[in-house]
Amino acid sequence: MNNLIHDYPKLSIAEIQAGLAAREFSATELAEAALMRIAQIDPLVKSFLEITPDLAITAAQGIDQAIASVSAGSLPEECGTLAGVPMAYKDNLNLTGTHTTCASKMLESYISPYTATSISNTLIAGALPLGKLNLDEFAFGSSTETSIFGPTHNPWDLERVPGGSSGGSAAAVAAGLATATLGGDTGGSIRQPASFCGVVGYKPSYGMVSRHGAIGFGPSLDQVGPFARSVADAAAVTDAIALYDPADTASQHTSVKMTDYLTLGVKGMRIGYVPELLELDGLTAEMRRADEDAMQRLQDLGAVLIPIELPHARAALAAYYTIGPAEAFSCLSRFDAVRYGYAERNASNLTELYERSRTQGFGPEAIRRIVLGCYLLSAGVIDQYYYKANQIRTLIRADYQQAFTICDAIVTPASPRAAFRFGEITDPVSMHASDIYTVPVNIAGNGGMSLPIGFGDKTGLPISLQIIGPQLVDQNIFQVAAALEETYDFERLAPMVLEELITPMSLEGGAA
Amino acid sequence: MKTIDEVLLDWEAVIGLEVHTELTTLQTKMFCSCAFDFGEAANSEVCPVCLGLPGALPVPNQAAIESIVLAGLATGCDIMPDTMFYRKHYFYPDMTKNYQITQGPLAFCMNGEIELEVSGKAAEQRIDQQGTMPLTSEPDQSTSQTEGYRTKIGITRIHMEEDAGKLIHIGGTDGRITGADYSLVDYNRCGTPLIELVTEPDLRTPEEARLFLQKLRLIYLTLGISNVSMEEGSLRCDGNISLRRRGDQQFGTKTELKNMNSFRNLHDGLEYEICRQAEVLENGGLVRQETRHWEPATKRTIAMRSKEAAEDYRYFPDPDLTPFHLTDEFIESIRARLAELPDDKNNRYVEKLGLPLVDAANLAGDPQLSSFFEAAFATLSDNLANESAVSELARPIANLLLNDVSAWLNQTGTALADALFTPSGIAALVSLGQDGTLSSRQLKDVFAEMATSGKSPTEIVEEQGLRQVSDSAAIEGFITKAMAANPDKVAEYQAGKTGLLGFFVGQVMREMQGQGNPRLISEMLSKRLDEN
Repeated sequence: MNNLIHDYPKLSIAEIQAGLAAREFSATELAEAALMRIAQIDPLVKSFLEITPDLAITAAQGIDQAIASVSAGSLPEECGTLAGVPMAYKDNLNLTGTHTTCASKMLESYISPYTATSISNTLIAGALPLGKLNLDEFAFGSSTETSIFGPTHNPWDLERVPGGSSGGSAAAVAAGLATATLGGDTGGSIRQPASFCGVVGYKPSYGMVSRHGAIGFGPSLDQVGPFARSVADAAAVTDAIALYDPADTASQHTSVKMTDYLTLGVKGMRIGYVPELLELDGLTAEMRRADEDAMQRLQDLGAVLIPIELPHARAALAAYYTIGPAEAFSCLSRFDAVRYGYAERNASNLTELYERSRTQGFGPEAIRRIVLGCYLLSAGVIDQYYYKANQIRTLIRADYQQAFTICDAIVTPASPRAAFRFGEITDPVSMHASDIYTVPVNIAGNGGMSLPIGFGDKTGLPISLQIIGPQLVDQNIFQVAAALEETYDFERLAPMVLEELITPMSLEGGAA
Repeated sequence: MKTIDEVLLDWEAVIGLEVHTELTTLQTKMFCSCAFDFGEAANSEVCPVCLGLPGALPVPNQAAIESIVLAGLATGCDIMPDTMFYRKHYFYPDMTKNYQITQGPLAFCMNGEIELEVSGKAAEQRIDQQGTMPLTSEPDQSTSQTEGYRTKIGITRIHMEEDAGKLIHIGGTDGRITGADYSLVDYNRCGTPLIELVTEPDLRTPEEARLFLQKLRLIYLTLGISNVSMEEGSLRCDGNISLRRRGDQQFGTKTELKNMNSFRNLHDGLEYEICRQAEVLENGGLVRQETRHWEPATKRTIAMRSKEAAEDYRYFPDPDLTPFHLTDEFIESIRARLAELPDDKNNRYVEKLGLPLVDAANLAGDPQLSSFFEAAFATLSDNLANESAVSELARPIANLLLNDVSAWLNQTGTALADALFTPSGIAALVSLGQDGTLSSRQLKDVFAEMATSGKSPTEIVEEQGLRQVSDSAAIEGFITKAMAANPDKVAEYQAGKTGLLGFFVGQVMREMQGQGNPRLISEMLSKRLDEN
């Protein structure tokens, strides 16, 4: 199947499974096509930090063997719901035998001895692991510009950032390098890059997906979630990874399948929107127009739009940039050059080893947050900031609880603006301000999704709507997103400038 | 330096203890499923969680939570249903995360107390017995000399935490990290479940401190939550000591004393530190707030580090772990498992079983021996008619266990659990003594045989024909023979030297090769000698 390298990115997860069942292609052919596509396109996008052909091919061969044991037209029982789906993972998720660098010099040579539960759930479901994806160093950032390996490029405009911190995960899906990817979201790190790259990005409610093996910097805020080119694909990945995990005390038992909520429609659903959030200074006009158009479409589909208030949402950024650095300071203490990671060999005593290794091993944004967090937790200061931030958190959580007594989902912009150019935002405060729509959701612990709603009428860049659900009632998000998605008709795959140059070739290199 | 007794005349010592206990009876570590067998090869019992590898999450050990709740219930603590784990930050290579998971302001167990009974010479050290209860049978007459006192020691809290790894420094001096050529680290101990008990500053003498720790150790031992060995380091105790003039209300500056790894070291270290502080203060100096190290070899304490600029550990709730909720059902299920505590056991032995005070205390003070005692007693106590019958049975069993059995275990270095004799065997042996089958002499011999061969007492009696002769006709014959052989002694006896009765009993017993019933021989002898 010579055209698989061109066609496979257009295939949905359901189509991949149907194709495998009909013997139109094998899982091995899919893996090879994906790997060849990465080899040719990723040098432009730079989304992968490590490519794992052996793991992908081995997984694919396993699936092909299983398929060979049953008659054509069906898939064997042991093939999971992601059988043959090419996937890749943010490089702060551990996968045994791969580098897990967190895009930091500190962990440049670190190789995982164990696998994150979220990744292993996709592998059990039959995903083909293509490799590990770029991010901001330790997920500190909104553009992947803080990665020590250099930034990832937005496939829709290579001069622009893909967003962050899970920029690699968003870009790889938009460029058709993987059918779905996993990222992590502490303050918007899935939803903002998904919005910049025009793909579906979903942060589950806190506790739905195991944090075990995800190297987060804010464990009270972090959730692992999927990127995909459609709501249905995102639902399929979510169903595979949102499983109870005894290794994570925050893990919740849920039996709801998101894939059961994709065709229910929104007739009669109460959908809240926050007029105040549409009036914020930083929100671009094209973003506001697109969001209001999306709301109109929901109304046309029979949903009831209800104006609501989230009075404390404005305080969310302040709370986030207190709780986040405090937890980051603590979580990153373990990187001390004693057991693994970057070590400054010329230290003459223990203190020097710590100080030099950490000063050299961490980049400026990581150091900024560690130092800030160290201060915020110190005696005499902690009550003023950290505990006050947690009081704000309680208020924000109550805001959402209150709001969800009168609505079934809330829609807001996902980001104030479309993707910006490299180097366009250098001031950390402005960079942090781009998280204004996503951060409150992490603070409250609810689920939220960025749903692509076309392109800005001014910039021509992808833009999104954020859909937020009641805590642990994330099926509402999928129900609204699937219905709204159906009203749009636009290309999900970035038209890569060199698409016509991509040719089938053997894995060993050279054109076929 | 003045002696402790001199110092305590003028100064009141204020002592609080911090007691760390490893929950050695658990199977796995505090937050992961690694075993914590000691003596394994270095760094062999580790996993991503206890190594603090990036991304690995801790999951609390349910059995450890059960243990600390047991400890709290046994020491009168309130069990807090809603608590959290906190992180305590400091950088050191024996720490894999550079923070320790511990608890915050609210621990699982808060506000308990342990009552101490201080008697004898230990009681004399406490000059001011205010707030204590005299230990006399009639408390109203306590103005006269008392036997001692009771005092309640408050327990501030018992919290749960994880232990760090072990460092060995090679080269340099004193085995310290400063100046060492290199250091080795073993993370096997990392994540071992520890409970830390903190007392109120209610202790007033080194003797009280020692008694407190001994009592706490016994409680933990009874609960079965640790092997509480100071030698192996599963029970570790630090002391906080300050002095104030008698009558003063305000506390003085305290020092923290470490490395008191035996009951004796605890006592001696505190005693030295009290005398040292008194000397500093009496010379017009100020006690520095610092950590001091007890050196048993030189019998002094030395300053380790100054605590004037208190270290900032940046405690905050561990975001990896969700808040902990203990349900009423859980707490009650643990309460139902609570074993009888040493104090209650002691009272029961005295009041219900009629054991002498000393025997009751000794038995209650040894969980293994007391459970052996209970098992032995239970095999015989089914059909006891009345209280005196209970006492008649309980006393000889306790007596045998505390004397012959304990002595044999000590001499041979055998643990009771490994011994070949069983509770029912010991019970049967005591019965043979009670019904007159065996003399006390024979009883000892039979026990020795049981201990070495593992045979039952009836087997041994059968095999060796050991049977106490209580047949008066048979004894009569030996008496006649003994009197005939010693006519002069008979004459002396009859002239009033009645102390010779013992001589005759001995003669008869020797003739009977120790198998005669001594009480019967004695009775019959005195009757015969008086007759003539």
